[in-house]
Amino acid sequence: MTPPAFASVDIGSTYTKGALFALEAGAFRLLARAETPTTVDDLAEGFARVRKQLAAGSGSSTDVPVYLSSSARGGLKIAALGLTADLTLSIARMAAYSAGGKVVRTYAYELSAEEIADLERLRPDIVLFTGGTDGGNSAVVLKNAELLGRSTTDAFILYAGNRKVRDRVLALLDKKAVAAADNVMPEVGTIQIEPAREVIRKIFLERIVDGKGLSAVVREIGRDPWPTPLAVFELAGKIGATQPGWSDFGMIDMGGATTDFYSHTEAFTGGDSVLLRGLHEPLLKRTVEGDLGMRVSAEALWESERTLITSRLAALGRPVEAFDGYIRAVAAAPESRPENPTEEEFDALMAAACVRAAALRHAGTLSKVYTPQGGFYVQRGKDLRRLTRLIGTGGYLSRSTSAGPVLEACAPQSADVDSQPLLPVSPEAYADEGYLIPLTANLAGDFPEEAARTAVAGLRKLKG
Amino acid sequence: MNPTHLVLGVIGADCHSVGNKILDAYFTEAGFHVTNLGVMVSQDEFIDAAVETDAAAILVSSLYGHGEIDCEGLRAKCVERGLDRILLYVGGNLVVGKTPYAEVEKKFLDMGFNRVFGPQVDLAEVVELLRSDIAAAGRK
Ligand code: B12
Repeated sequence: MTPPAFASVDIGSTYTKGALFALEAGAFRLLARAETPTTVDDLAEGFARVRKQLAAGSGSSTDVPVYLSSSARGGLKIAALGLTADLTLSIARMAAYSAGGKVVRTYAYELSAEEIADLERLRPDIVLFTGGTDGGNSAVVLKNAELLGRSTTDAFILYAGNRKVRDRVLALLDKKAVAAADNVMPEVGTIQIEPAREVIRKIFLERIVDGKGLSAVVREIGRDPWPTPLAVFELAGKIGATQPGWSDFGMIDMGGATTDFYSHTEAFTGGDSVLLRGLHEPLLKRTVEGDLGMRVSAEALWESERTLITSRLAALGRPVEAFDGYIRAVAAAPESRPENPTEEEFDALMAAACVRAAALRHAGTLSKVYTPQGGFYVQRGKDLRRLTRLIGTGGYLSRSTSAGPVLEACAPQSADVDSQPLLPVSPEAYADEGYLIPLTANLAGDFPEEAARTAVAGLRKLKG
Repeated sequence: MNPTHLVLGVIGADCHSVGNKILDAYFTEAGFHVTNLGVMVSQDEFIDAAVETDAAAILVSSLYGHGEIDCEGLRAKCVERGLDRILLYVGGNLVVGKTPYAEVEKKFLDMGFNRVFGPQVDLAEVVELLRSDIAAAGRK
């Protein structure tokens, strides 16, 4: 009997990629791959082409089940609204990232007229509206509901704040596309993002699927698509939960526009003289950095990481002007590849800066506090020191043959001896060589263990 | 009816946790909804929690003798962050050494606290004061 076959297709903003797998002995075996530029005006066209190529390449019929993800149109744009920056807003951001969204703006406290105008201009897909514990703040929450209700924003509004005023909030928003989920922070410090995540996924389906031909594809395959980063997030969770040796790992997905950092590890393990302050972050966490990227975001990267890049250029003996010129060239032509050793060096430098900054922003800190009794420690954010493995994926890191770029995530400790970033200490580095992660991720919903096993088997261990 | 929210914690780098747990249990038993931030709480953490929970009062403890420095500016920060009507109570071993209580009390009242308590306080009295202060402030 021939093993069952499954196709997986990811419609990205530039390429539509596909793979055909056979399910054998608890893992997927790659039978064929296909790739075509995404047909932006009608996504169904590129999809059909990939599907045909897969069938031709394997000699199988086109009749296999198809799993689909999409990040076309730049993914899911979310504006996060919270009450205080360190509590509800911070959790709203966490929820948006773990739902596979891209946080395009954050707002705290009562929305000002300027912020409302900014939101109307920005036109995100979703406004994730949070604030207040259950039974807590209602004044600011109701005011913001009123302001959003009167605004011209056409975004879908997801209310996940103080439950006690949910009915009144929904009434104030009755002219809008609106839904509600359980409060992301029912009590101070309690993180509850699952319900909001689930609703965001549904909104994604309703809003993003129609138009541009995606609804035709969905009808044809008879299965809902996933936002690509959500599929990858789920896969990361399955890898951590099921693969031996992978309970503590990180993954860096670096592309032209953003750098995503995923970590699967207990955020805080305590100890006698360590106290956690602030939020206890989740086991599985994703952050997205919109200013760290190799092409579309090259100029933003140069701006954000100027100090690091300048000092490295000096060490390499390269003039800043040459790098500056390269940045402008690649930002203007996002498809370009380095053409000589100098340009390769510049790409490597950009990659190093992206990885390092993304890791630092994802990680928490440990600070020494002095008391008359002696010193002890305060941790804030997530502890990444126990990560034993780090995966690099996305164009540049998938192709990388040395551990160097990925290990930038373990950048030298800060000069401030009293406050250290909690970065990985000595992880092994892996490359997602065949760039299979997004494609295996689509299968993780129905085949969690098999997909996780396949993703891990497709990695190549890198040497220093 | 929504219970009245209180925010509780031990301020600064102070890690005396026993009294904090007693206060949490006592005020919860008295019918308040207590958000207990535990030990080593910064001014901003007190205020963030009070904003999110719409708390009627913040109960600050300081046991290790550095209360004065740790509490300085808390009232002003509350006002800046929109908590212009919140009640601020403080208690514990507020200063180092044997400063007379009246002097200590005045110091903290001047800093903008509504009530100041020493370590020997009767918590039943505190609950009564809190109820009447909350009523006077026009909160439920
Ligand atoms: C146990 C203890 C410790 C333990 C704490 C263990 C723990 N996890 O809590 C350890 C060994 C770690 C410790 C360390 C230190 N301690 Co110590 N410690 C004590 C001790 C013996 C008991 C504290 C206690 O638990 N009391 C029982 C509880 C129930 O009472 P309470 O904390 O006072 O709280 C009650 C009231 O104060 C009041 N209250 C408190 N806050 C508030 C707030 C409001 C709004 C209200 C209404 C009421 C209220 O209600 C509470 C419940 O009834 C006291 C001495 C004493 N007898 O009090 C010293 C004492 C508090 N420590 C002291 C000191 C100096 C220290 C150290 C700085 C150095 C040292 N000598 O070891 C370090 C500081 C560490 C740090 N960064 O915080 C001094 C403080 C001096 C001062 N303020 O002038 C004390 C008073 C000892 C002394 N006489 O010198 N300590």
